[in-house]
This record gives sequence, structure tokens and C-alpha cells, in this order.
Amino acid sequence: MMRPDKKLWLVLLFTTLSVTMASAATEEIGGDFTLTDHNNATFRLSQLQGKLVLLSFGYTYCPDICPTELAKLALVFDTLKEQSDRLQGVFISLDPGRDTPAVLSDYVGYFNSGFVGLTGSESAVDRVARQYRVKYRRHEKAGGDYSIDHSANLYLIDQMGVLTAVIPYGMPVEHIVDVVRGQLSSNG
Amino acid sequence: MVLRFIHSFLFAALAVTSVDADTIDASIISAPGYGELGYQLPEIGSYELPSLGEASNGEVLIAEGERRTLYEIFDDKYVLLAFIYSTCSDVNGCPLTSHVFYKIKSAMKRDNTLANRLKLISLSFDPEVDTPSVMELYGNNFRYAGNAGEWQFVTTASHQSLEPILKSYNQVILRETDSSGRTNVGYSHVLRVFLIDPQKNIRNIYSVDFLHHDLIINDVKTILQQEQKSGEFIKTATVAQQTSQLSKPGDSKLGYELSSYVTDSQDLELRKGEKADLLAIANNPPLGLPAIPVPADNPLSRGKIDLGRKLFYDRRLSLNDTFSCAMCHVPEQGFTSNELAMAVGIEGRSVRRNSPTVYNSAYSNLLFHDGREENLEQQAWGPLLANNEMANPSIGYVLNKIRQIDDYHGLFEAAFDGRGVSMETLGMALASYQRALVSADSPFDRWRYAGDKTAITDSAKRGFEIFTGKAGCVACHSIGEQSALFMDDQLHNTGIGYRESMGIYPDKQQVTVAPGVTIDIDRAIIDQVGEKPATDVGRYEVTQNPHDRWKYKTPSLRNVALTAPYMHNGSLSTLHEVVDFYDQGGVPNELLDPLIRPLGLSPQEKMDLVEFMESLTGSNVDTLVADAFAAPVGDVGKGDPSWVHGSEVEVR
Repeated sequence: MMRPDKKLWLVLLFTTLSVTMASAATEEIGGDFTLTDHNNATFRLSQLQGKLVLLSFGYTYCPDICPTELAKLALVFDTLKEQSDRLQGVFISLDPGRDTPAVLSDYVGYFNSGFVGLTGSESAVDRVARQYRVKYRRHEKAGGDYSIDHSANLYLIDQMGVLTAVIPYGMPVEHIVDVVRGQLSSNG
Repeated sequence: MVLRFIHSFLFAALAVTSVDADTIDASIISAPGYGELGYQLPEIGSYELPSLGEASNGEVLIAEGERRTLYEIFDDKYVLLAFIYSTCSDVNGCPLTSHVFYKIKSAMKRDNTLANRLKLISLSFDPEVDTPSVMELYGNNFRYAGNAGEWQFVTTASHQSLEPILKSYNQVILRETDSSGRTNVGYSHVLRVFLIDPQKNIRNIYSVDFLHHDLIINDVKTILQQEQKSGEFIKTATVAQQTSQLSKPGDSKLGYELSSYVTDSQDLELRKGEKADLLAIANNPPLGLPAIPVPADNPLSRGKIDLGRKLFYDRRLSLNDTFSCAMCHVPEQGFTSNELAMAVGIEGRSVRRNSPTVYNSAYSNLLFHDGREENLEQQAWGPLLANNEMANPSIGYVLNKIRQIDDYHGLFEAAFDGRGVSMETLGMALASYQRALVSADSPFDRWRYAGDKTAITDSAKRGFEIFTGKAGCVACHSIGEQSALFMDDQLHNTGIGYRESMGIYPDKQQVTVAPGVTIDIDRAIIDQVGEKPATDVGRYEVTQNPHDRWKYKTPSLRNVALTAPYMHNGSLSTLHEVVDFYDQGGVPNELLDPLIRPLGLSPQEKMDLVEFMESLTGSNVDTLVADAFAAPVGDVGKGDPSWVHGSEVEVR
């Protein structure tokens, strides 16, 4: 009689363990970070405190999503021109290999001269991506070329440096404007 | 090079923001949901959206980190349910959902009805990344922007709790791996958004090519309009559901498969009901039933019914004063046992067959699954004397015990013209009560026999067509011109008994060991610890005719939605399983009834059949259950014959 009992207990134990492991706790999303800006200067997110930050991730060789997102962001800034001193657009490159500060400087400037482009070492960029739960993946192409698949949410970081909302990719400009306006008015 | 990209795509980007279909580069954004609808929508209310099946329940985590079931967050509203993950970047995947949901949310600002009746739910299928706090960050989108209408973001606790939800919504999710073999970098999935009505029926499923806010709003408006038009129907449907409100186990295990299950026991004190005029019900059976056959020597009377009712709920009728008839034929469980495949009698002794319902037993000339008894008067003695049921050692023992119980004093004499308790009068009293438990006037009866066209749903009507046509169920579950018993008073071999006799079982059996924790256990382990199943050869045991092996009585289908589990051994848990069983053609064996053959039913046809069977619940079920609640429960007390076994010991 002992044998089957033991077996059953093992089954139960295993089930319990796998349940525990599957629901492993995850850390909070967001937070401060340090990277290099498009002027080749060290940049800390916390230096933007007091401003509402609109943060997006991408890469300059990106054929579709990133320019779309940045163009939308530029429209948001145009719409909220009178409050632009309280806002800051930030674009973090997920392709530090190709996106040097110089490349970024051209790129972000095209959309809005006030935007900050950020890059850094591969590991530094990866750390920030993980912090914000951004997923990205390199796709090798023929001839050594590559593209990067990545998620494209827009992160709203409030005047205290706290991540306050994630705007899903696909939301129209009018919505982003609404959310930003709401956030600005709620914080005086 | 960079700038060239920017020039060509900035144009496209701006086009997206102004949502102008004509200028969108088809190679980038192809889903119609981003643009204007390319076709004219049919007029609202001009088309039907039949149910595509039941929307499954499941356990999710809301942004506050608390557990909820999907049904709870559906909140009795029309629901658009989308599966998303927050790091999804395929333009025609999750972002399309966000875009379309946003459009609907905007429409809610202008349209109160839409805002009040419809709810948007995005459910993440990436529990590791999408924790409740991430869902909260999504929800914050609407903290300042547009309060009208609700768009809720939810996730799950783990892949384990997510898996059954994905399975039930048929969402195939593939975890993608990158070139270095890293998993969990993304998911590929087929976009599907579900429109679910407050009754939890799926009314439409939108894929990429059809996910468009105008179409969805048109669909919702159409359903709302039809709902309003058939307001009366909705009312009857709710009433119909309410008629069986009392029919649930006092310790309901509904949702036990979810880890959020909390004990839902009803205090015995709350199990109260009102006595009904059973004689009036029996003398004038509800719509859809013929007059009940009553033996000439046992005409119904109020006295006999009351006495039978008292006996039925009396635990002293068993050897050790613990076990009444009602403990296997539980009134609030369809007068059967919903929670036991096979009954368990006195002292936990296993009974080898499923408790049959007592509802409408008045019409049966064959009693017990093998039809070995011919009337309720005689049948009553079977369970009273069975060693594994009420376990009385003899007829005399029972009669003698009742004679000595004070509260039976004079009752038999009053009900039977001066005749005291005897083998005959005891059977007659119990039979009278059970005979009076007739139940019909179901939605089906009102449709079929009273011409109420709106009494049952279109699905149930289609189910009836299949029942009487393609599936041929009616061959045994008979229906007449004026009334329907849904049985033929015959015995048939469906192969269920054969399968059990031959010991044909799956290698593993799922066992729910705790709420939300289900494990597969090897059959071999169960066999080592479980009691060996009793031999059961069905009708053969009565006739000794080898051709009668594994034949069992056709049960009536009235109230079948209340009488799970099904088949003579309770081996099928749901009506869906029963339909699947017959669709496969039963279990082949040399004596299989020739009426049973593979049916080739489509999933929709199966659902229609179930819907039809669910329309067979009688309108008076709660009346009968409430009457049962009002019955006295006979329990051993001071002065009873077996009170502390006749000793003089004072019991505190």
C-alpha cells in the first residue's frame, strides 16, 4: 500500500512546484536609466523630472513602425505646442550597432527638433528594454543586413519620473493628445 | 538612406493618423479596421446573429491584482473580448485591436446605450510580461481621456491558468523563438475578437479582415434591437431559468475547476420552501404530459401523498437511522445526485448505478435501470432492503420500527381507511408521493403544445429538427401529438455497459485534487486503490437472455438539464458529452442497438441539440423542490426505537 501513496504524493508535489514556478513574481515596470544622447552626452531619465516624458523605442533603419510612431508623436507635440515646454519626447534605439549619436541626431531632428534620441552599449540598451518590458529580436537578412522586430508601445512618464501609462501601439493621435492633456492638467 | 526612408514613410504615417483608407500604403497597413469600411453595411436589425456557442469561463487577474472569473468581469453586458499581449508589434495583430477598440470607445462617448450595454475587454496571453501592474498602466489610458464606456485590461496568474482559457476560445498561440534559440521573444497568434452576449453566447467572431468598428457597432445594435423587440421572450427566458433556481447542490461545486473557487454552501436553515398542493398537480399534470396512470387499488389522496413525503425524507427508514430516500434522490439536484456518477449508500457503500431521477417516474412501467420492477409501490422496497443502500435487514424490521415511532402514530390508518403500516401501505404511500412529482410545461412544451413561437430559441428549434430527424433520438425518446414522455419504456444497448464490463478505460484519468489543480493519474494507480467495479450486465440479469446483455432502460429527457451525470453508470458528465457519445455511434459491440450509428453532426448541430434538451426543464421544478424543502426531515430522537439502542443512558 505504501508504493502507490508515495507515487501520488510525488505527482502532487510536482504539480505544486510547477504551479509556483509558472507564476514567478516579476519586478515593477519602468524606472530611471542612463544612456547616451544624440549629442553624445550622458543622459539620465531623471534629469527630465518636472516634464511629462513620452518615451518610445525603435531604430532608425526601421521601415514602418518607428517613423509612424515618431510622426504621430510629432503631431502630438504640434497639437500641444503651447505646452511644449512641459513635454519631452524621447526615442531609444534598439539598434546601437548602427544608430550612433550622429545618426540619431539627424533622425529625431527630422520629426521634432526637441526630441531626444538615445543609444548606448548593447547591454545598456538591453537593460532599459527589459526594464520597460520591450521585446525585440534581430532578423538577419541576406548580405549581412538585418532588421529588428520590436514592440512599439508609447510610455508616459510623469513629472516625478513615474511610469504612469502605457499607450498601446495603434492608438490614434487624438487619443495620445487626450491622455497627455489629462496628465498635464492633473499635475497642475 | 535614412532620410529616404523617412520621406516615403512619413507620408504613410500621417495617413494613418488621419485614417484615410485611400492614402494608406497597402503594403504597410492592410487590415480594413484602420480605414473606412469598403462595403455597405446591412441595415441594423435586418440580419440574425445566432449563437456560435457558449463563451467559456476562466480565471483572470484584474489590474488591481485580484482574481476574478471571466463571467464576473463580463458583468452581464455585451462584451468584446480580445486576446492581446502588450509587446505585440504586428500591425495587423494586437495594435489593430487597440485601434478598433479605441474607435468603439470613442463611439461610446456619443452613444449612451453603447456605453451602458457594451464592455471592451483585452485579455493578455503573456502573463509573464503582462502583470496586473502593466494592465493598470494600460487602464490608465482612460483615467483622463473619455470615461464613457468601459475598456478593461486583464491578465492571468500563470500560463497554467491561461491555457484552459486559450483552449476554450480556440486561440492557438505559438511561442516564437529567435535565431539563437531564445524563446519567449514573441508570440504568433491568429487574431480573433469575440462578441459575447449577456447570456454568455458568442454571437460573432471577428478576424483581421472583419475587425472593423462600424461592423461591430452594427452587430451590437442589431442584437440590441432584436433583444428589445423580443423583450417578452427575454423575460420568459429569464423566467424559465429562474424556474430551476433552487436546483443546485446545497454545497455547490460550480466553478470548482478554477483556483478562485470559494466554498458555496447553503446553510441548512436557509433551505426553506413552501408546501405545494401536490395532489392538484398530479391530478392535472402540466402542459406536455398526459394524465398519470394510477393503479386502481391505490388512488391518489392528500393523506397518502403527505405520508409518502414524510417517509421519503425520513432517515430512520434505514438500518442505522442515517439514510433517507432523498439522500440519493436529492430534490435540489433534480431528484438525483448531481455530484455522484454512481450512488453511495449507507456507511459509504458503493452502489453500482446512477441514481435515476424521480421526476415523472409516474409514467414508467419499468423501474430501475434494468427495468426489473413494474410499479412504484413495489419498487420502494428495493432501496429499503438493499445492503448498500438503506440496508434494512428485513421487511418486518422496517414495519416494526415505523410502528414504534410516535410521529407516525395513526398516520397510516388515516391515509388507508384504517389499515395500519404494512408492506403494502408503506409502498403505496411512497409511490403516491413520487407519482405526484410530475414536471413539464417547459419552454419546449409551450412552443410545441401551446403554439408559443417565442418560447424557445432558434437554436433549440433547430435542435428539435435534428432530434426528430438526422440524429433520430426521437426513436427512443418518444414525442406524441398531445404530449411527450421522451421515453419508450424499452431497454437498449448503447455500448456504455459493454465498455464498462470489458474494462475499457483511458490510460489516464483527470482528477481535480483541489480547486484549480487538476492532474492526470494513471489508471493503474486508480485500480490499485479503487474498489473494483461491480459486474453489471444490464437487462440480462433480469431475463437471463444473452441477447439482453448491457441493455438499460431509456430515461425520460424531461428536466434532463437538471439530472447530470448521465447514463446508467453516470459516466458522462454533461449533455455535450452525451451528444458526442451518440454522434460517435455509441460503443460498438455485437449487441449494439441497430438504432445507434455514427451521426456525423456538425459542432453547431451538437450545440443545437443541447440547447433543445435544455429547453425541457419544467416550469414547476422549483415548486416541487420548495415543497420538498418544506417536508419534515425524519431524524432519530428520544423515544424512537433505536434511541441509544434502547439503553437507559442519558445523552447530553
